[in-house]
Parts: sequence; C-alpha cells; structure tokens
Amino acid sequence: MGFAHYFRVWLSSVRYSIVRTMMFRMDFIMWSLVELFWMGVNLLLIGVIYSHTDSIAGWNQYQMLLLIGTSMLLQRLLMGFFWSNLFELGRNIRTGHFDFFLAQPGNPLFMVSTRKIDLDSLLNSFVAIAVIVYAVNKLGLHPGAADIVLYGVMLGCALVIHYAVVLLSVAVTFWLIGSEGIVGSYFTLFEFARLPREAFRGLKRVLFVWALPAVICSNIPAATLIGGFNPGNMLWLALTAAAWLGLAVLVFQRGLGRYSSASS
Amino acid sequence: MLAILTKYRAAFSVGLQSNIIYRWNFAARALFSLFHLVVVFTLWTAAFAGQTEVGGFSLNSTLTYFVVMLPLQFMIGAFNEDYQISEEIRGGLINQFLLKPINYYVYRISIFVSARFVSGALAILPLLIALPLIYDQLAFPSDWGWRLALGLPALLLSAMVQFTIAYCFGLLTFWFLEIQSFVILSMAIETLLGGQIFPLDLMPDWLFRLSQYLPYYYQMYFPAAIFTGRLDQAQVMQGLVIQAFWVLALLGLAQLLWSRGLRRHTAVGG
Repeated sequence: MGFAHYFRVWLSSVRYSIVRTMMFRMDFIMWSLVELFWMGVNLLLIGVIYSHTDSIAGWNQYQMLLLIGTSMLLQRLLMGFFWSNLFELGRNIRTGHFDFFLAQPGNPLFMVSTRKIDLDSLLNSFVAIAVIVYAVNKLGLHPGAADIVLYGVMLGCALVIHYAVVLLSVAVTFWLIGSEGIVGSYFTLFEFARLPREAFRGLKRVLFVWALPAVICSNIPAATLIGGFNPGNMLWLALTAAAWLGLAVLVFQRGLGRYSSASS
Repeated sequence: MLAILTKYRAAFSVGLQSNIIYRWNFAARALFSLFHLVVVFTLWTAAFAGQTEVGGFSLNSTLTYFVVMLPLQFMIGAFNEDYQISEEIRGGLINQFLLKPINYYVYRISIFVSARFVSGALAILPLLIALPLIYDQLAFPSDWGWRLALGLPALLLSAMVQFTIAYCFGLLTFWFLEIQSFVILSMAIETLLGGQIFPLDLMPDWLFRLSQYLPYYYQMYFPAAIFTGRLDQAQVMQGLVIQAFWVLALLGLAQLLWSRGLRRHTAVGG
C-alpha cells in the first residue's frame, strides 16, 4: 500500500474522531479545560519564580516561557495524535483485542498508532503556540520563514522522540502483562523537558541531557529560535530521534512475535 | 461505643489487606516521585543561583519543604478514593450500607486510613534512597518542639480535609455519570493551591493571604510549612482555627450531598 492509501485511512480516522467528539461535547469541553488549567499551572510556577529572580541557569523569563511553550506544544501534539492510541494498545495487548488490529490490511504499527486523534489536545496546542508567539514577541525576536521551518522540523524530530518513548514503555506489555504503571513514566521523564539544559550539572547532565532524550527535545528547538541555527544541535536531535524510533520499532516488532492473543 | 469501634476496625483491616495488594503500584509511584524530586532540586537550585534567600527562605530550607512534601503526599493524600466511591455508587454496592447500621463516611475513612498506612510505609522507600544524596541540603528549623506539637494535629486535620474533598467528589456520581474530568480539574487546583508546585508563601502577599482562607491551603502546604519553618507560631494558631472550620464545613457538605444524593438514588437489584 502506498502513502496515499495510508493517508486516506488516517483521514477517515480523523473524521471518525471528530464525529465522536461532537457526540460527547461536554467531555470535550471539560478535558480541554483540564489541559488548559495544567498548562496554566506550569506558567504560574515560572511567574512565581521570576518574581524573585531574573534568571534560571542563564535563561530570562521570556526565554523560559519560550522553552515551556515548546515543551507544552510537543506534549499537546503527542497527546493529540498518539497518546490514547498507544495507551489503548497496552490495554488491547492485555485483553487480546489487539487481534483486531493485526487482522487489518495494513502495517500494524500504523494501524494502532493512528486510530483516533484527541481534539481537545490539538485545540490546546494553539494555546501553546500562542505562548510561544507571545514569548518570541517579548524577546524582540524576528524569526524569518527559514527559522520557522527549521523550528518546525526540530519539533517534528522531538515529536518522534516522544512517540518512541511512549511506544517503548507500552511495548513492554508484550513481555510484562501487568506493566500498566510504566506508561506514566512518560510524564515523569518529560517533566525534565521544562528545564534549561544548562541547569543540569555533573551526573545529572550525563543522565538527563545525554542519555535520556527529554531535555534536548524542548531545549534545542527553543534555543534555535533564541540563538539561531546550530547544525551540531540539529544533527544531535535528528540522530537521537532516529535511534529511539529505531529501538522502539524493533522492540515493538519483537513483541509482535511474542504476542499470542489472550482469548479464552 | 466499643461495638462501633470493632465494626469499623473490621473495615480498616479489610482495607489494609486490599491495599497491600497494590503495594507495587504505590512503590512504583513512590520511586517515580524521586525523579520529580530531581526536577525540583535542579529547578530551584538554578533559581537560587546568585542569591542566598528567595522570599525570605534559604535554598536548603526550600528544598527541605519539597522533600517533606513527598512522604506527606503518601501519608495524608487522597489517591483514588473519589473513584472508588464513584464506582460503589454506580455499581450499587452502597445499597448494602443503606440497610445496615454502618455509616458510609466512617466506613470509607477507615479504609482511607488503612490505605495511607500502606502507602505511607512505602514512601519511606524513595526517601531511604534519596537521603544519603540530599542529607547535606536539608535544613530543619531549630524550634521543632512546638512545631511538632502543633504540626501533628494539623497533619491529622489535613488528612480529613483531603479525604472529605475526595469523598464529596465521589458523591457527585449521584448527579453525574462521569466524574473523572471534575476530579482531574480539581486535582490541578488542589495541587497548585495546596502548595505542591511551589511554596505558597512565594506568591504575591495578597494571594498568599487569600489562599489561607481556602481549604486547599490546609491539604498539604499547612503541615509541610509548619514542619519546615515557613510559618511562625501566631500564623499556625490562626491556621489551625481556619483548618478546623474547613473540616467541619466539609463534613457538613458531605452530609448534605449524601442525604440529597440518596433521594436521587434508585437501588436496583440485590
């Protein structure tokens, strides 16, 4: 099957998700509010800290806002496009409903990853974009078209990393049926994405900046808008994305081989 | 009186047993909270760089505040009590309590207390791992005598506030089919105004004073701030009065929701 065909499959998933959201309007409003509020909580933390200091690891208030906005946007995009699909993948492996996806004519990973989208998260990604635009304005930056495209490409790489981390934590279910709690580690890991890379020193730098891919996901795109394009950083991000995605797909494929359904 | 105690002791013991089943869940959660502690230490150490005090408190005393928060959450925090109550109402399990001389609130709080024994004990785990690494950075106030004497009752009342708010949310099931989004929205408010994101005293003064009249302040910030020296004795005495008021007010609300809710409730089947 070609790209066009997969795109059509994805479009019908989108259509299905929109219809579903329209059916549960109240849920949509409540969940949008919940996300909006949590984003506000993060912004308040920054507001409170900067009312007592001028800099966190060399980042001023609006640079920090840009960093937080970037990390919020990434998380909204992950939640919007992939989170519920991957979360349900874990459940489906446990219950045996995963059979249904295997029976579909298409790549199983594509089928499980794109079944629905969450409109509330996608709606809130505009709020995150507004935060970024506001911070860029306050910083007096004037990114050109090329900068914005580069920023977008980097966000794409970072989104791939987020996706790979969640997929990895879910794929563990193929081996450990009772591993429900592990998915939550995604949120723990990406809490680090709201911190400037310079704040990590010594062992913490090795662990959270170099080994685990959370910090660079938000820091490299944000630093590109603030300080200009750095090819080394771009390469670092792209290679990290490729490596983690490769690992996640490999583990998923291995898991598929182990999967033996769960019907009684 | 003794008979009443025996009755709820049975609920407590059942709660203890069923919560021990979830020990791995609690333990995993406690270990994840270690990572959260790393984030907190990194962020606040960077924020304090170049200044000895922020908002009148040293870096070490602020870090100590967050460290104390960690076991407190596991000792007095409400975890999924609201969902459990919601499930019992939806599934019709509460029908049996309507026929027996058992007070549902006391029954649930007995289970809550037993659950906190289990999770509270497991919270020691991450602390044992973290303590050797962070020991040098902890700074407790020297006047700990009165702080302990007033802090422990405040801690108990905090647990009551925590549980009773969760209980009230659970009872909303009488009116709404799905309470999950309410609970998560409220959790965000409680996390923020309970002082888990930042010590409330770092907010602008008027906001801090306003927060003292809200119940959230008494869920977590109040006991943690007593133990870590962020409040003086006069503030603590005043706080205890407001806290006691909130406990009574929330109990009243819980009773109201229960009696109103039961009128809407239709028990089906057996």
